[in-house]
Amino acid sequence: MSNSSNSGKSYLEAGETHYAIGHPKSVFMQWMLTIDHKRIGLMYAAVIFVFFFVAVLVALSIRIELFAPGAQLFDGDSYNQAFTLHGVIMIFLFIIPGVPAVFGNIIMPLMIGAKDVSFPRLNWFTFWLYIFGALIALSSLWTGNGFADTGWTFYAPYSLNTNTNVITTLVAAFVLGMASILTGLNFLVTIHRLRAPGMDFFKMPLFVWGIYATAWIQLLATPVVGITLILALLEKMFGIGIFDPSKGGDPVLFEHLFWIYSHPAVYLMILPAFGIMSEIIPVFSRREVFGYRTIALSSASIAGIGYLVWGHHLFTSGMSDLAKTVFSFLTFFVAIPTGVKFYDWVATMYKGKIILTTPMLWALGTMITFVIGGLTGVTIAMIGADIHLQDTYYTVAHFHYAMLGGVVFLLFAGLHYWFPVMFGKMYDEKKAKIAFYLNFVGFNVLWFPMFIAGYQGMPRRYFDYLPEFQIYHQISFFGALIFISGLAYMFYVLIQGMKHGKPSGTNPWHATTLEWHLPSSPPPLENHSKVPYVDFRPYEYHHGEPVVKFDYKTMKRID
Amino acid sequence: MSHEYVPEIAVDRDGKKHEVQGWQGDFYGGKLGFWLFMLTEVMMFGAMFLVLTYYYSLHTQDFLDASAHLNRLLGGTNTVVLLFSALTMGLGLLKMRTGDVKGAKTMIWATIILATLFLGIKGVEWTEEYTHGVFLGLDALQSGNEHSRPFGQILFYGMYFTMTGLHGFHIIIGIGLMIWLVKRIDAGKVSPHHHILHFNIALYWDLVHLIWVFVFPYFYMIGAGDVTGGAIHGH
Amino acid sequence: MDTNTHINYEEQKVGYYKVLVGLLLLTTLTFVQPHMFFESYTFVTQLMIGALKAWMILMYYMHLKGEKLIGWTVAFSLVLVVFFFLVVIADVNSFQFKDVSHITSQPHIDVDYHHASHEE
Repeated sequence: MSNSSNSGKSYLEAGETHYAIGHPKSVFMQWMLTIDHKRIGLMYAAVIFVFFFVAVLVALSIRIELFAPGAQLFDGDSYNQAFTLHGVIMIFLFIIPGVPAVFGNIIMPLMIGAKDVSFPRLNWFTFWLYIFGALIALSSLWTGNGFADTGWTFYAPYSLNTNTNVITTLVAAFVLGMASILTGLNFLVTIHRLRAPGMDFFKMPLFVWGIYATAWIQLLATPVVGITLILALLEKMFGIGIFDPSKGGDPVLFEHLFWIYSHPAVYLMILPAFGIMSEIIPVFSRREVFGYRTIALSSASIAGIGYLVWGHHLFTSGMSDLAKTVFSFLTFFVAIPTGVKFYDWVATMYKGKIILTTPMLWALGTMITFVIGGLTGVTIAMIGADIHLQDTYYTVAHFHYAMLGGVVFLLFAGLHYWFPVMFGKMYDEKKAKIAFYLNFVGFNVLWFPMFIAGYQGMPRRYFDYLPEFQIYHQISFFGALIFISGLAYMFYVLIQGMKHGKPSGTNPWHATTLEWHLPSSPPPLENHSKVPYVDFRPYEYHHGEPVVKFDYKTMKRID
Repeated sequence: MSHEYVPEIAVDRDGKKHEVQGWQGDFYGGKLGFWLFMLTEVMMFGAMFLVLTYYYSLHTQDFLDASAHLNRLLGGTNTVVLLFSALTMGLGLLKMRTGDVKGAKTMIWATIILATLFLGIKGVEWTEEYTHGVFLGLDALQSGNEHSRPFGQILFYGMYFTMTGLHGFHIIIGIGLMIWLVKRIDAGKVSPHHHILHFNIALYWDLVHLIWVFVFPYFYMIGAGDVTGGAIHGH
Repeated sequence: MDTNTHINYEEQKVGYYKVLVGLLLLTTLTFVQPHMFFESYTFVTQLMIGALKAWMILMYYMHLKGEKLIGWTVAFSLVLVVFFFLVVIADVNSFQFKDVSHITSQPHIDVDYHHASHEE
């Protein structure tokens, strides 16, 4: 492996990559064996968006079923399988790898001035482990007694007793968990070891902080659910009664162990997404981010507090009153660092020179949707309210506002923001904005009625309902149609941009962080022509212009 | 592969030179990465110990009764075997670092032999338990039949086989890693100046030992005071 | 890449043997404890001895001594595990329906169950 093989060619060109094994001639095998972090990130993006659309279509079928009371498309059992499939794909195959696997891979090393992640071969292996896990998950659609019907949470004892193919799904979740752990491990070492000289932790871009906090959750929380799934597997095979109350086990223990991972997992999803927000807001306000340290540290403290609040999922599951009280109390604390972030972003925009590009629109839209998602979360952190609202559409609407309206919207924001870095081209801004408005309107029409339906008692995961809820389901259905056409249009615009877009240049947004100071766009194989010395803060603007300028041949500052 | 790697130099505005850390040949990075991996093992076994403690607090007497019937002689022997294997592994690494490659290889082989011995003893122990009808999937560890043990005992034995089995799996992986390590040393890929692989496998072996340090008292010793026993007394 | 090629094998070896002796002594202690002292606290005592052994292995065999960053990461994950233990065990022990839950009231179930098996 040569030391600096920058030929000035784009990393997307044939042959411009390093390989895990050998030197394949065919372009296809070059992609399959690549250890370049950018290519691996792109492959993740391709795969997770395919899964995303599969899960969206499953969700649409659920909406069609719910258009009227009674059974239309599904009977009860296949409805259970449908929402499990939707949940498993969205959670394990799409949103958990989501931002870290795509932008953590493509952008994070660029941001810290590294040539690759710390363990590029491990990164390659991790990608294929993810694919392997995905294949296992999908195989359970056609093997055994059909896909699992337990919901993505696999709650015991039902998951231990159902005769659908839970075993395969558990194995898949375990393998995907391994992939997630290894991704986090790789990023942690990368961020600790490969930062450009001079870049201390408080000179890192905030997205890197988000990835760093996330990586700790991936590393330390995932093994807990991994072993829980293994225990559930053994329980299914040998019946020793670990989680089965009829055999002396305690299903609440399963829920404890499951949520010890799965609650931090939602912060694992949202923290890097918040990182994207923290990149976009200062760039398109042309102002240095307000309260850099508080945003950075709030990421760390959300990750920390996130470990301590899992019990709020168990308020109605037979947890002791003492634990309920403690967990309710602790849960409120998550709102504090999250609030800090929001005020910092708003304060950044204050008196800024706001430019409403597509990424900025997505970021601003998310501010609305995520605030709704976040604050409704605080309402159900209260035990009393939760008894009423748990497992209703209120909760469904809450986490879709937080996950889809937070994480996925910001993932799309990042997709538009870093599009020029990835492909060196620009999409049609006008059309991309239309796509945003379609999505934003469709999203709200789709999910807002569910708050009301849930508040009035529409239970979650039912394939049938009382006639009085029909109006809400029908509004939702039309929202879903708008939303899905918005999604399709957005991807159409992006793919058109990929194919026929105008060359973007290296820094179309006048941004400041290192991924915009590459010698060419798309970047060459080993990224920056030289590793810069970082003696500046990540978002320095003066009178709306970036302060730091580089000579891209030597990567020395020339401002 | 990374022998020729020369780190890049970044120059700051005052003309001072700063060495850039590359991902190639990063000894500390390799060490940090492996420690982080070991933390995931800690969380994994930590969660299993949590399950164990949870049911210990629910079914205390059953746990003590079941524990009393485990074979402390074989378990104790295995503890000592692992202890010595940790020593040979450590000394092997020390020899590698001080340039004695041949001695290092001898020590690794010694560790492999001790590890195999551990597995052999474990096998004898499991066989013995199997012949007494105590094994995953057998009637005694299923509830609702005439041979069923009480709930707490079933949980105890279930976790015992799960955890010692998973630990044994780690031993097998360890043996594989050590054989691989010997091959890498023979191929000249691991040498006194490039011994990160040896270093990490030694760490792994210590972790395997470390887990046993808790597995052993948790299963074999907690009920030791109740009965004089050694071998399983059956029904 | 290696920082310390100048270590003396004979000097370092002594340290390994010292730790070995310590661990062997503690193992012996493990065996005599249930019959010698703290008989009614076997569970806790055994785990304490285990923790001591683990500490020796971590510090001397795994060279954790002097590792600042790695030391902190290990400490963080251990604290996390302990927190999980405390919360979950506290939850099960303060369950307000303990007396009527058939999971927790083991003796009650046991009686029924033995009764059933005698009949067969």
